[in-house]
Amino acid sequence: MIRREIPNWLFIGLAVAGVVVLLVGYELLSVRQTRINPKQTTIPSFEKLAEGVKRVFAKQGLPENPKPAMFWQDMRATLWRLFVGLSIGVTASIAIGVLMGAYRWIEAPLSPVVMFLSKIPQTAMMPIYFAIAGTDQKMFTSMVALGIFFSMAQAIYSAVRDNVTDEAINKAYTLGASEMEVIYEVIWKQILPNVIDCIRAQIGPALIFLIAAEWLIGDVGVGYQLRTQSRVLSMNVVFVYLFVLGILGVVAEYGLVWLRRTLCPWFEGN
Amino acid sequence: MKMRYRLNWLMASLACACLTGIGCNNSKSGNGASTGGNSTAATGNTGGSSSSKPQTFTLAWSEYPSWSIFGVADEVGLINGKAGELGSIEKKHNVDIVLQLAGYDACITLYGNSKADAVCITNIDILGASSSRNSVAILPTSTSAGADACIAGGVGSIEELAGKTTRGLEKSVSQYAFERCLEKLGKNPADYPFSNMDPEQAAQAFQGKDANVTSIMVWNPFVMQSLRSRTDAKVLFSSDSIQEEIIDMVVVGKDALDRPGGKAFADAILETFYAMNKRMADPTTSDSTMIGIGARFAKLELDDMKTIVQQTKFYGDPKVAKELFASEKFQKETMPLVSKFCVKYGLTPTPVEISFGDAKGVMEFDTKYLDAYVASQASGAAGK
Repeated sequence: MIRREIPNWLFIGLAVAGVVVLLVGYELLSVRQTRINPKQTTIPSFEKLAEGVKRVFAKQGLPENPKPAMFWQDMRATLWRLFVGLSIGVTASIAIGVLMGAYRWIEAPLSPVVMFLSKIPQTAMMPIYFAIAGTDQKMFTSMVALGIFFSMAQAIYSAVRDNVTDEAINKAYTLGASEMEVIYEVIWKQILPNVIDCIRAQIGPALIFLIAAEWLIGDVGVGYQLRTQSRVLSMNVVFVYLFVLGILGVVAEYGLVWLRRTLCPWFEGN
Repeated sequence: MKMRYRLNWLMASLACACLTGIGCNNSKSGNGASTGGNSTAATGNTGGSSSSKPQTFTLAWSEYPSWSIFGVADEVGLINGKAGELGSIEKKHNVDIVLQLAGYDACITLYGNSKADAVCITNIDILGASSSRNSVAILPTSTSAGADACIAGGVGSIEELAGKTTRGLEKSVSQYAFERCLEKLGKNPADYPFSNMDPEQAAQAFQGKDANVTSIMVWNPFVMQSLRSRTDAKVLFSSDSIQEEIIDMVVVGKDALDRPGGKAFADAILETFYAMNKRMADPTTSDSTMIGIGARFAKLELDDMKTIVQQTKFYGDPKVAKELFASEKFQKETMPLVSKFCVKYGLTPTPVEISFGDAKGVMEFDTKYLDAYVASQASGAAGK
């Protein structure tokens, strides 16, 4: 029967089995590939993967002038670019989205533009962003910020328009709230869970833009390393990075869900 | 419900992370094992090889003067790059050549991961690839004689370049040329920072006068484009000073050569290359062939192509090609230098075993196919 509960132990058991099947399947593929070409690096064995882990964490630079391991250099660069880009993009889209939802005279000129631009796949806009933003740190952050801005502004604008009722706003006015108070106390608090969900939805696309940009012009970062290592066929390093990206995605997902539950407990179950 | 939600996410993320890698790597190109029976059956047939079903081999290539030749050969019908369709040379050798066009990096990845049987690649990058797949260089197509250049804007001399970052493709032919040219000029490469950027993007940034990109080490057509679009751009040094060190080649996996039809494939590749060179030398077809290559390569006109061909010297004569692979300089100086470079920058963990004609090395430079081509031409001429 659809949605019939199964016992917890069975659920956990099956979850573990899923992961085990994945790992065994991987190992089988690796063995098969090795039989075809004993020197293959395409699907590295677990032993080779361990070497990859060792390599990405190995100290770089000379003993008298040590540099952080490749992994930390890349992660620091990519996560910093992501953080700054997301912060700018999210802040700007919240400001514009809320204003559009609050004031008709802002909504009127902006909504067709934002609606139109949010429908163009942002990866297709990359050549334009490259031309505008140059090739330094600024370029990576603007890539992320611009990449998420239009669709997120559109989503927040819709949330304000659809989720904040006229009654709530009128009630606040009746109770003597100023315009700023209505925006903060009524609109902002009402849409906060939508904003958090928007960020959750945008982290993936943001990473796509960032990795694509690093792939093309980076000299440090996850995208740069993925391209360089796949060209020199160190797939064991590539797999380590992919695994970490997966883990980071899971962590970000949990973190934001936790944040939403903590900040907006009233929203659960909606 | 919470538990379920969490586990679903965990599993989905794990699956995504792993499948990204597996999904594109689990099948092998050109299934030799399953079709092996055909050719055995055909050997008893007096009709010769042409009556058996042609085997399929894939060549991964990127647009470059001496490699775009294969794209033009497809256009003029000498070979047909689609699977299951044969051009005149393919019919003669009874082999089906599939042309896989991709970017330079992507070609290396395709070849190294056994998704292509052969690849157009330089003698620098092949060492990295040969550490995951035993390889045989069957044909040098050209050598860079100015086609890889360091171009600077607002930097007057090589002395002024010291301490300023040059952008180009790291751990690759560009970085090799950069270091070698500096060494030749008596400079210490350590004083000249080099940092990664895709050559096309670097050229675009340079042409757009990006303040962070004042000097670039790129290959043609980017060299030509960059010089043309900035009047203050200047070539500081180029591969002209290290001729016959950077060799553009066609390399075939040893496994592919050993498959039935492997030799026919190699012969067909050589015949195609030299047939196209003949077309370039023949006054009646020369211009149209050059224009064809130029159009493929970078939308270049005839005059530009003439410059390009000077900066990329073709090995249009199989005897000269053989002399290169057999020369003392190439075997004892160039390849050891390249090997040292590859270890220094982690392209290969340890020096790759290189051999010349005895099939012992992981990377083999073999003139056997060049000899076979020369012999077939001689007997063809005698027959007439």
